[in-house]
Amino acid sequence: MADTQLSVTDLQVRFPTDRGVVEALNGVSFDLEKGQMLGIVGESGSGKSVTAKTLMNLLPRTAEIDGEVIFEGEDVRAVARERRKHFWGVKMTMVFQDPMTSLNPVKRCGEQIAETLRYHLGHGRKMALRGATDLLGQVGVPEPAKRVHQYPHELSGGLRQRVVIAMALACEPSLLIADEPTTAVDVTVQKHILDLLDRLRREREMSMILITHDLGVARGRCDDVAVMYAGRIVERSATETLFNESRHPYTDALLRSIPHIDQPSHTRLDPIPGRPPEMINPPVRCAYAPRCRHAREDCLTSIPTMGGVTGVHEFACHHPANTDRGDAALAANVAVGVTPAGLHLTAGAGSE
Amino acid sequence: MAGTGRAPLRDRPDILVRVEDLTVEFPVGRHEVVHAVSGISFDVAEGETLGIVGESGCGKSTVARSIIRLNTIKSGHVIYHDKDLATLEGEDLRRVRPDLQMIFQDPISSLNPRRRVRAVISEGLSIWGDDKGVWSQDRIEELMVAVGIDPEFGERRAHQFSGGQCQRIGIARALALDPKVLICDEPVSALDVSVQAQILNLLEEMKSRYGLTLMFISHDLSVVKNVSDRIIVMYLGKACEIGTADELYERPRHPYTRALLASIPEPATTVDVAEGNITGELPSPINPPRGCRFHTRCQHVTDICRAEEPQMVAVGGDHFVACHHPVEVALAL
Repeated sequence: MADTQLSVTDLQVRFPTDRGVVEALNGVSFDLEKGQMLGIVGESGSGKSVTAKTLMNLLPRTAEIDGEVIFEGEDVRAVARERRKHFWGVKMTMVFQDPMTSLNPVKRCGEQIAETLRYHLGHGRKMALRGATDLLGQVGVPEPAKRVHQYPHELSGGLRQRVVIAMALACEPSLLIADEPTTAVDVTVQKHILDLLDRLRREREMSMILITHDLGVARGRCDDVAVMYAGRIVERSATETLFNESRHPYTDALLRSIPHIDQPSHTRLDPIPGRPPEMINPPVRCAYAPRCRHAREDCLTSIPTMGGVTGVHEFACHHPANTDRGDAALAANVAVGVTPAGLHLTAGAGSE
Repeated sequence: MAGTGRAPLRDRPDILVRVEDLTVEFPVGRHEVVHAVSGISFDVAEGETLGIVGESGCGKSTVARSIIRLNTIKSGHVIYHDKDLATLEGEDLRRVRPDLQMIFQDPISSLNPRRRVRAVISEGLSIWGDDKGVWSQDRIEELMVAVGIDPEFGERRAHQFSGGQCQRIGIARALALDPKVLICDEPVSALDVSVQAQILNLLEEMKSRYGLTLMFISHDLSVVKNVSDRIIVMYLGKACEIGTADELYERPRHPYTRALLASIPEPATTVDVAEGNITGELPSPINPPRGCRFHTRCQHVTDICRAEEPQMVAVGGDHFVACHHPVEVALAL
């Protein structure tokens, strides 16, 4: 594809710890086109934030990284030391979950935005402050001329997140990574922030990676969605395809386990049994197999690779849900009441 | 918003907890107070699940904590079995507390990290005994099995369990004293989505097995609807709307309820997405707006909203709204 902006190939990240090596990412690959909004969804520990931090070069030095990240034709992992400060924070920027901890509590909001402009673009003090006021206006902060002189604690959570977004946009990045940008704010504020990000990326033709644990957020805002589980992308496709024709049993189960606003009250939920796997020395098998209703013997001996239709709808599963092969696997397991991994299919409640 | 008024109180023999004009204020120095809860009335029938929903700062947790007197009540009544919990003191209060138990949002920090989970679960029993005044290992094991924790793990400490398991332990601890009312304050907010459903189902199961009455507080509208029979929507210390879960979501009348339903990522089909655009900031609870507390942000605001506080009025069977201009909706079939 000609307009591929970001290309991640077989990314692996390991953290040596006292208890063993944590295999945080086990071969993550994806492409991002210019102007696209990609959602990465997954639960805690699935590797979505590690993916973002790897792209942003924010991992601790102890991390062992393998794989290739090409951003606008340049190998991100080989950016020369002296160019780094004008690469991250300029072309590629990031917004974090908690705006209070990403802002400096003892500096006025305006100064913090202005600092970005002065450092990266070499603006003078006055010009930078004017730029900061401008940016605050663009991200929908009311009375920007007053707000630049306020401290973060004087602003509400929603406004603080807008200040953080203004900082991220200061140098007109071509890729914005937003890591759970609305997890710490209320639903009415969440809508405003997501509306803002959506508007900004369209106006500026900016690409975005939206990391979230909220499937609803991903569904409502993203062009494509990638589902992560245990350090791998297990399914990826256009958003509506993913939600309507999920193939990976994990995606499928996740969608069925959440309550939906239009269901009558007391609708019984269908939880995913068990809990996420240990990331230290994982055995060679599909990481989801112990919790999977579709798991067969092959799931316990080999790790499924990405299949499906390349670039359209990919999934890593030996017995995908909602296919003949997957239905056959499920039927065979139901017939004996237990999967080869030892999951009892009769237990409705599911336990950890 | 705002509503005061006792209209939503029901005259039924099976009412277990009845909260009347509850007001809670916290001093913040210089003779100022935070008006956390300002005159809320509602009741919970035996075996019912009452959901309380609203954004941060609306007072939903304060209501819950006030019922079991974890904070002081400025005025109002909390009637439980002919006793007013708002004025009980000392031994009388202590005696009634086993009946009302609570589980908290952060499952890990609500368990003592230095104690073994068996001790955590059995602490209440070692003080009170069970219904016969004794406590036994059998009772602890029964509870652990009921919530899905292998009794073999009783000698472990909280950090050796996942968040979901810690919440199960918290539930076992709350159930140990055979309570009548279980108050759940955001019990699944800190959990991963795949574990949320397990805990929600477990609560339903425990509710029917032990004949519990539940009060369930959450900011997540879908979760609240799933577990509740009846729901209160709160804003800035006041109740805006009370109704049965299906009715409230099917025919929301209060502009704030509608805004909430329209703001969530996958909005309810019963409201227009444009209704979710609430402008402005949440006013300070130290100096809340006069009249309807929602009037500063409401799309339907008129002069009367600024001057006069709306009262709770019935707008259909079991459905009450505190608004001068409730949104017209199609009638139930």
